[in-house]
Amino acid sequence: MPRQSTRTKKPATKAAEPEKVEKVVEEKPQKEQKKRGRKPKQVVEETPVEDKMEVEEEQKEEETTTQTKADEQQPEQQEGAGSDSEEGSDDEEDNDLDLDALDESDSDSEFERDLNEKQSAAGIQANKYQKAAEESSDEEEDEDEIDIDELDVDGEEGEEVKAISKARQTINNKQGLLMALKRFALDTTDKVPFAFHQSIVAKKVTEESIPSIDDDLARELAFMNQALEAARVGRALLRKEGVPFTRPTDYFAETLRSDETMEKVKAKLIEEATAKKASAEARKQRDLKKFGKQVQVAKQQERAKQKRDTLEKINLLKKKRKDGGGPTGANEAEDLFDVAVDNELKGGPGGNNSKKRGRDGKEGGGPNAKRQRKDAKFGFGGKKKYAKSNDAMSSGDVSGFSARKMKSGGDRGRAGGPGGGKPPAKKFKPAPRPGKARRKAGAGKR
Amino acid sequence: MAAVYKSLSKSAKKVEDTEENDNNTTNGGFRKNKQRVLILSSRGVTYRHRHLLNDLAAMLPHGRKDVKFDSKSKLYQLNELAELYNCNNVMFFEARKGKDLYMWFSKVPNGPTVKFHAQNLHTMEELHFTGNCLKGSRPLLSFDLAFEQEPHYRVIKEVFLQMFGIPQGARKSKPFVDHVMSFSIADGKIWVRNYEVREVEKAKGEKDSEGNDIPEEKSSSKKRKSAPNAELFKDTDVSLVEIGPRFVLTPIIIQEGAFGGPIIYENKRFISPNQVRSELRKAKAGRHNARTEQVKERLGKLETLTAQAKKEKDVLDTRELFA
Repeated sequence: MPRQSTRTKKPATKAAEPEKVEKVVEEKPQKEQKKRGRKPKQVVEETPVEDKMEVEEEQKEEETTTQTKADEQQPEQQEGAGSDSEEGSDDEEDNDLDLDALDESDSDSEFERDLNEKQSAAGIQANKYQKAAEESSDEEEDEDEIDIDELDVDGEEGEEVKAISKARQTINNKQGLLMALKRFALDTTDKVPFAFHQSIVAKKVTEESIPSIDDDLARELAFMNQALEAARVGRALLRKEGVPFTRPTDYFAETLRSDETMEKVKAKLIEEATAKKASAEARKQRDLKKFGKQVQVAKQQERAKQKRDTLEKINLLKKKRKDGGGPTGANEAEDLFDVAVDNELKGGPGGNNSKKRGRDGKEGGGPNAKRQRKDAKFGFGGKKKYAKSNDAMSSGDVSGFSARKMKSGGDRGRAGGPGGGKPPAKKFKPAPRPGKARRKAGAGKR
Repeated sequence: MAAVYKSLSKSAKKVEDTEENDNNTTNGGFRKNKQRVLILSSRGVTYRHRHLLNDLAAMLPHGRKDVKFDSKSKLYQLNELAELYNCNNVMFFEARKGKDLYMWFSKVPNGPTVKFHAQNLHTMEELHFTGNCLKGSRPLLSFDLAFEQEPHYRVIKEVFLQMFGIPQGARKSKPFVDHVMSFSIADGKIWVRNYEVREVEKAKGEKDSEGNDIPEEKSSSKKRKSAPNAELFKDTDVSLVEIGPRFVLTPIIIQEGAFGGPIIYENKRFISPNQVRSELRKAKAGRHNARTEQVKERLGKLETLTAQAKKEKDVLDTRELFA
């Protein structure tokens, strides 16, 4: 269904959806049509142009291919002109022949003739440079065509002849049509009141105001303008005759489209509006985010730069010191500075740096506080054997000894008993474990 | 005696009636517009066709929707059917191949019949337009000027006028006019649109809020008066909002009779959708053929090349020398 005419109509109003879809579907076949447009033309070339009937046949064929669409033809021909020139003169010839045939072909309807002229104009423009080459061949056709034209122009008799000679394809019995019209037509002249028929014929031909049939907006606008003019005229006429026109606001009756449908339409509109709003919001947010990211990046870069600068400065100072003083001339202050610098380097001003080192775990500065504490608690590196055994220092240490505690009968919390109570404040160093004998004695006491 | 009197008086009355009719027609009168449209489809319509048919049926209070008609070849049977329903118009949707829709518009007793190919169907429901109008209100029919320029278009116009125009005082019609049906010709096709007429205040309206209401009431109350108070209306203008449905009709033939008789017009610009489809298929096949040909050509070339290579054996070739 998408082919033959189906240029999509996009409503001038919001409700464009159904057609949009159609358009997408359509694009492919149109391309295909363009391609196929060339084939039948070759057929035209092959058949000798002698007999009138054959001429007609050709015309018909051409029409099937080229005349399918007013809109398609132009692009097609232009494309044809482009690609034909590559293919060779043969094809070009057909192309031109076609156009001329179209141009010359009889046209019982002016409308059609206009269309043909338009086409040929476009075609001629495209193929101007090729024209001279095949004029001789054109002339043959011209003669045939002219004959037919003359027949046509003859009038009613000629019409009859034409109707017979053209067999099927060009029946347009104008007399018969008018007779038929007369038989059943209603009187719509000024004699009858307008309310009798309510029909208005526009003052302009609508097609003239449509620049391109594929331009949905322009086309629909043209249709609407026609209707709008009719509405204005009709309203004036009806009011003149005293026929009620507008529905009063308190007149309720069944409407063409049910409330349900209108509700749906409304919902759709609302949905559309909200979707639009949401998307706008989202875009805004996105932009903001993008901007925020830029700020963040800038900040990071700034920080990195700062760090680099300080490190450079430090290195510079170090170098200066090495060059200037040497080990002999080392001052106390400079030594201090050196330590500070080393610390600085170890600790690192940036969090990043320290983390990295922490992961490596090779630097003596220690990775992080937790690890450090754990290391301190459980030991890290070095010999673990005898780490807890007493030595001279520990045995000589009596800092945990308190006479007061001894007098008060022992520390309940310390003894590891169940009634522990408050753990001792961190400040105080836990008293070292009592000796075995004392412990036993304590146990015995309890 | 009574019977005789009755028959006499009846005949007298009849004579009077006919005289009256004659007077009507001769005086300033016109034929009464009595239309009834039989709306039906063939079998094999798609949902879209059906919905369009329903839309049109809803728009035509003088229409009579009937069940699907079983035959596609014996369309003259529709004449009898229409007679059965007292219809003098038939709007017949003929679906072919479950996709193509042809619409027959026929004036039943003695023609003419117009056959259209309908494309770009969009029903009222799927077009989400905001317009709405009363069910059964009489439309204004807006025709393109092109309808007056060609005899066949004139015939088509007349058919449209009688089918889509709701006759004055039709049974279920409403007394207001609130929509316009427009028929335009573009690209050799007839484009049908349906708009709601809305009254809006003019930009320079002096009576701001009341201006809109007052004339409406007046218009309804002062029905049969040649309105001298036209100035009252001047502060409103009309705007259009589309209602739907939309469709495009390509005239194919016009027959002189009702579903029969000689063909008095045939549109040679019409290409049947079957032909279009077959062309498409051919084009596709052509592409494939061209491709296979190319492959064949290439293979042939390869063959000749290899043959040549075999032939040209150099005596001084290392393979020859040290074989």
